[in-house]
Amino acid sequence: MKFKDDLRTIFLDEYSEVFSLEEKVNIVLSPSLYWIKKLDLPLKYLYEVKKLIPSLFEDILPEGNYSYTAYKSDDKYFIFAYEDKIILDLLHEKGISLSQVNNIHLAQSEFQNIDAALKINKTQSICIKDELLILVPCCWIKETRYIDFDNEKLSKHTIALAKFNHILDNKSLYTLGIIFSIMILLVSVEWFISSQKVKQIRQVKEELFSKYKLRPTVLQNKVLLKKYTKLHKRQIKIRQYLSSILAMRLKTGYSLTLISIKNKLLSINFNIKNQADKNTILKLLKSKEIQFKSSSKDNKLFVEIQL
Amino acid sequence: MNKINPLYVGIFLIVVFIVVSLSLKSSKEELQETKLLLQETRELAIEVSEYKKIYAKKSKKSLEKIVKLGILKSANLEIKKSKKSMSIFSKSMDKNALNYLMGKLLNSAYNIESLRVKKLSNEKVSLYVEIKW
Repeated sequence: MKFKDDLRTIFLDEYSEVFSLEEKVNIVLSPSLYWIKKLDLPLKYLYEVKKLIPSLFEDILPEGNYSYTAYKSDDKYFIFAYEDKIILDLLHEKGISLSQVNNIHLAQSEFQNIDAALKINKTQSICIKDELLILVPCCWIKETRYIDFDNEKLSKHTIALAKFNHILDNKSLYTLGIIFSIMILLVSVEWFISSQKVKQIRQVKEELFSKYKLRPTVLQNKVLLKKYTKLHKRQIKIRQYLSSILAMRLKTGYSLTLISIKNKLLSINFNIKNQADKNTILKLLKSKEIQFKSSSKDNKLFVEIQL
Repeated sequence: MNKINPLYVGIFLIVVFIVVSLSLKSSKEELQETKLLLQETRELAIEVSEYKKIYAKKSKKSLEKIVKLGILKSANLEIKKSKKSMSIFSKSMDKNALNYLMGKLLNSAYNIESLRVKKLSNEKVSLYVEIKW
């Protein structure tokens, strides 16, 4: 059974053989796999009808998770209900994986124009009655030929099977979708707010630069701060050491002869009379917790302090 | 009209959610970093500004006034100015003038670059001091 687009077409019902396929196929569902109604509704558009289908089937369908479809033909609407899981299970049972299925059609749309009954298996035939394709036992109809898809063109009416319809119905799926969409919206809003805050903080940072007349980059200002910190430490040390040294009470006989600051060195020279004087001065310096180097020559004591 | 597989819609929503969540995470991290940087910049700005105030060039004018004071006239101070510094020399000055000048220099925020005070006698010293801006 080859079709015009070179894809094989299989008529699927519970009596179909088990297939061993290596290629894609089109599926035509037997009337036993769907529920159908023909309606003459005062509605112009198909989408309006589709909204109504569940309520139109409400009273006749057994309990189950149904998907719905419809198409319009000669001012009449044909509406369908089918259980995705039953069809999926049957496909699986007949050795057809969903990835091998090109399109799924309904027998109604494919055989609505047949003028005689067609046998679909040893016991059943399909025929048109009141524009609806129905299943009948073979014995009811004489001279029937077997169904054949050769040289036939399939219609554009196809259905898509919902794999998870039996786990989650459409309402739950929509609810989940809405919840996810709301979460996406909330996260997006938070992301937007966060981005705006980043912009505002950058603005405040720029204002800081102009308010405090800073240099153009943070790095340049860090270098400037480092320079000032170093300078300040040096000046503090100069004042601390000079204050400590000038506060020393020197005995008569030895005196301070030179104070010099050059680069990182504070030099102080004392006139001393003997070793005892030297020891006294050094002891006084140590008592001030000053780190120093000292040397002496010819009654002179040289003290060097690193700044 | 072909029916869109809800699975694809679900996957699309999940992908969008993941992308938006990652963007939010990245944005929050950026916000945190920017906040820290702002805090750091604010502290840096205040510190630099304070130091600028302390060692500002306005101290140059006050030093120029000090060296012209009558108490230092006897010291015959020689002043050498440049754009970034001022050097003060005295071949001989008495201890009162020295105490006054050093008191002013050490008790204010002058950047003393170099200093040399040499005892000439019990009453006199020679002085060299360089202040930088």
